[in-house]
Amino acid sequence: MLENVSPTMFVALAFGVVMFVLFMFLPALLELRRPRDAGPRKIVEEVSAGRKLEIASMEETEKIEVDQAIVKRISNILSALPNLEA
Amino acid sequence: MIAEALQLLSLMLTGLMAAYLCRHYFFTLNVLKNSGKPRKDIASESTDFQPSVSILIPACNEEPVIGRILQRMSELTYPSDKTEIIVINDASTDATGEIAEQYAEAHSFIHVLHRNEKEGRRGKAAALNAGLKRAESEIILCFDADYYPQRNIVGQLVKPFEDPKVGAVQGRVTVLNEPKNLVTRLVALERIGGYRIDQQARDSLGLITQFGGTVGGFRRNLLESLGGWDESILAEDTDLTFRVYLEGFKICYAGNAECYEEAVENWRAYWKQRYRWSRGHMQCAFKHLFKVLRSVNLTLKQKIDAVLLLNVYFMPILVLLSWIISVPLFFLNSQPTLGIGWAAISISVYSFVGNFAPFFEVGVGAYLDGRNRAHWLISLLIFTFLYNIPICTKAFADLIVSKVSGEKSVHWDKTSHSGDGNSYIMN
Repeated sequence: MLENVSPTMFVALAFGVVMFVLFMFLPALLELRRPRDAGPRKIVEEVSAGRKLEIASMEETEKIEVDQAIVKRISNILSALPNLEA
Repeated sequence: MIAEALQLLSLMLTGLMAAYLCRHYFFTLNVLKNSGKPRKDIASESTDFQPSVSILIPACNEEPVIGRILQRMSELTYPSDKTEIIVINDASTDATGEIAEQYAEAHSFIHVLHRNEKEGRRGKAAALNAGLKRAESEIILCFDADYYPQRNIVGQLVKPFEDPKVGAVQGRVTVLNEPKNLVTRLVALERIGGYRIDQQARDSLGLITQFGGTVGGFRRNLLESLGGWDESILAEDTDLTFRVYLEGFKICYAGNAECYEEAVENWRAYWKQRYRWSRGHMQCAFKHLFKVLRSVNLTLKQKIDAVLLLNVYFMPILVLLSWIISVPLFFLNSQPTLGIGWAAISISVYSFVGNFAPFFEVGVGAYLDGRNRAHWLISLLIFTFLYNIPICTKAFADLIVSKVSGEKSVHWDKTSHSGDGNSYIMN
């Protein structure tokens, strides 16, 4: 089979294969070099209204709804901090 | 004569590979077709159907990650009076047990089952069976220690059990430490293809939805009637999958019930994990293939899918065999049995269309997930496929040796977790 291939055709074939491989992997090389979507994919949580707490400022001029779990985590951290006023 | 025999064998192997490639296309096109429709598994947190749930978390030396999952368990939105968390501390030599006990002291619904050196370290299946004996709820869910579920995941996972024909449920797994390195990014792509497309399509088409061993669960009475997890099988999840279907139940894929996992972070860990999966899967093929074919509880399309699923880890070995056959075929240089034209057409179609199929599946999965750049790495999946060839070949060889020698015990090579995924948690 190979004896029917001329040297020119062989070089062209080899060049074609190299270019094909390069194009096939070019997007991957670009993404690895400068990742624009490295992940991870964000899982959207549907937390029901019953799990949210309303927090208001002292003057009640601003109110926000916060997830209970986040408030709990913050309070756990604060409780672990030393009491600076003591 | 030899050349013709090899050509026929090569065409048969091509035909087998084409069957799997057609399956990839079929699944991908099915998910694409249904992507615009509201999914039946979308379940907002329902308060109508809330059975009692036992969550089993087997843990052997999971000190870097056990605290994270237990913290998350304490934040679940499912009623705590209907939930019990059972941590099975499987003879850990690190602080896994102590950390778990701290959470148990703070939360009455968290319990720790300690297994000593004598009874422990016999694999995940043995640990889960120990937890099952302790469980008291109607539904048994399983999570690996390195997982980080969404807070309303329990409600999402139990909802399918409203259908009495559903014996088990499987949620979706998303890689948490995806940005860490190339291995984690490629594993994440594999997960996208496996869950977003494969599992979704199998569920939509009424085929064999696979229980993946974690982020899923069973009816307790069904699990007990099946005898729990088979401790002699490395892929105890695949084994249970087929036992559930053979018993006349089905497994539902709850695509909205999502959980983060820590993927393996280097090629050595990847080898160990995939070796375990492939050897376990092959054990299941030997155990269930004829039962599946004879079963009156499976439809024809389920039987076809079951056969393809059971033998999937043999495919890399068959690809290697076809490459080996092609070498003498090249040098023998004889006329193809079917004529050179037909051979050229079939090989060209297979190469340009067939080989594209698994990449197409992953690419569509990434597109449906809105991951506009993640699929740029798809071409690198060829290297994971090539890596799987020696893994599956070794697994098969070891399995044959163990069957010939009569060795029944299996060694569970546990995946180690670093806990590095914590830095990627967003909620």
